[in-house]
Amino acid sequence: MSSLQKNNPDLKIKELQYQVAVYEDETAYKALFFYLFPSLQNFAFSITRSRVLSEEIASDLLLDVWTRRNNLLEIENLKLYLFVGAKHAAINRLKQENKGSRFSLDNLQVEFISDYINPDVSAELHELQEKVALAVKNLPPSCQLIYKLAKEDRLKYKEIAQLLDLSVKTIDHQLSIALKKIATALHIPNSKKNRS
Amino acid sequence: MTNDRIWILLARKLSGEASSTELEELKQLSACSPQEEKTVEEVASWWSLDPGADTDFLEATYLAHLERMKDRGFYLSEHPVVNQEDIVENNLLPVEAKGNFPVRRLLVSAVFLSILAVCWVFFKPLPPATRAATTAKSAEVATRNGARSKILLPDGTNVWLNSGSKITYSKDFDTGLSRQVYLTGEAFFDVVRNEKRPFIIHTAKMDIKVLGTRFNVKAYTEDKTTETSLIKGSVEVFLKSNPARKYRLMPNQKLVLLNDLPADAAEKVVDVALPKAAVSLIEIRPLTYLQGTDTDIESSWTKNILSFEDESFIEVAKKMERWYDVQFEFKNKRWEQEFLNGSFEKESLEQAMKALKYSTGFNYKIEGHKIMIF
Repeated sequence: MSSLQKNNPDLKIKELQYQVAVYEDETAYKALFFYLFPSLQNFAFSITRSRVLSEEIASDLLLDVWTRRNNLLEIENLKLYLFVGAKHAAINRLKQENKGSRFSLDNLQVEFISDYINPDVSAELHELQEKVALAVKNLPPSCQLIYKLAKEDRLKYKEIAQLLDLSVKTIDHQLSIALKKIATALHIPNSKKNRS
Repeated sequence: MTNDRIWILLARKLSGEASSTELEELKQLSACSPQEEKTVEEVASWWSLDPGADTDFLEATYLAHLERMKDRGFYLSEHPVVNQEDIVENNLLPVEAKGNFPVRRLLVSAVFLSILAVCWVFFKPLPPATRAATTAKSAEVATRNGARSKILLPDGTNVWLNSGSKITYSKDFDTGLSRQVYLTGEAFFDVVRNEKRPFIIHTAKMDIKVLGTRFNVKAYTEDKTTETSLIKGSVEVFLKSNPARKYRLMPNQKLVLLNDLPADAAEKVVDVALPKAAVSLIEIRPLTYLQGTDTDIESSWTKNILSFEDESFIEVAKKMERWYDVQFEFKNKRWEQEFLNGSFEKESLEQAMKALKYSTGFNYKIEGHKIMIF
């Protein structure tokens, strides 16, 4: 992978989007799936707290991508579009399943998935990753979500703000809190971080 | 670090959101004390931790997804290749589900391809390197190892036949509803356009339908794969094993089909000789181009160039066997998996072997038509 592409996943998504829309390229579609499905599923999971539901939601979204492949280029920002779709679908399913009151950022159960981490990573690195994971887990729910969307799903501040109905300033603030808390947690051996 | 401004700037920098002014500001602020600088570095280091994805699980998830797509009437190929370039790095993985998402029951299904199609073609007299035969119903042209040949079909289509190949067509070629030929080995086609009469090439594992275009078909029965490479125009490829499904190629793509699945096909297919084709039954890939040229490797043989890029010695040996009409014997098996790059145009066998030895280090001995590798 060229380093330019690695640093610019949005460009790659645009490329793949083009391939799917214009050539109905199944290879590109699969690549889109590989990139987007995990993020979408995890995001849906944070709202629905159901693995089964979140998988269906993510799969439905990607199915839609194929169904509307001929009009796919009309979508400016595919990633954000799908995330918003995931949010709506997740909230709707929540309502349907009567899983609780209105969706609010504080009700989220965000998970940092470490089950499928590449086992070939060195033990040292692994330990660090686990420490970070634990620290992230201890972040307040909305802070945690924002951290994940920024770091792992690589959404832009503007995109996160739009997705969660927040201001960019809030994103700035939340991320700075996240970094500070994780850094603090890493420096204190065996710390059990208190939620604040 | 109590200065919140630093944290905000740092977060921006790590997320790629910082402007150059902000980056500058961050630099200055962190330079205030070694402590601060150290913290900034540390944060940056764990932010960039990327454990990497478990693609096996994603593959299985994708198959499950395809099943759901089938239920809605969409039948996508189970194994289009995903090049490394296409996998955008992301360390998130789907949360495993037990529900109605059928991950478990979907593994690579074994598709076994069989049948040897042979064909006969009608033809004008040719130099001795090429054998032509005519029967009442059909005609055949064949080349032996070490020889290549160019043929003109009755409709004006040009066919370059590579070494050790055979092409056949029936006398109906010019009159039937479509123009049909049968191929074993390798040939490059420059098909005359005729929408009313599609040109169809039958090989052992696949049929290729063409309207008027330039492309290469490689279907040696002893090879691991059958390949169709498209230079210009468009072709549709049908697998004999699944005729309902067709693959459309765009220019500069090639379709590679594994001829046989190894016995442990139910698990991950790892083929050491073809690592790039490791997990797929069928792949569509871009053509490989010789460095610094616009000659694609797949059809370079038509220009009398033998080329290979990142191919294992054992695969290259097959190519060279046909090209030079020799027999390779690997006395030391380890050289079989050595990866080679090269292209030979006018080189003799001796020159080619010398060049390869120089770049890799193996030893060889030529005895008549036999080459032994130590």
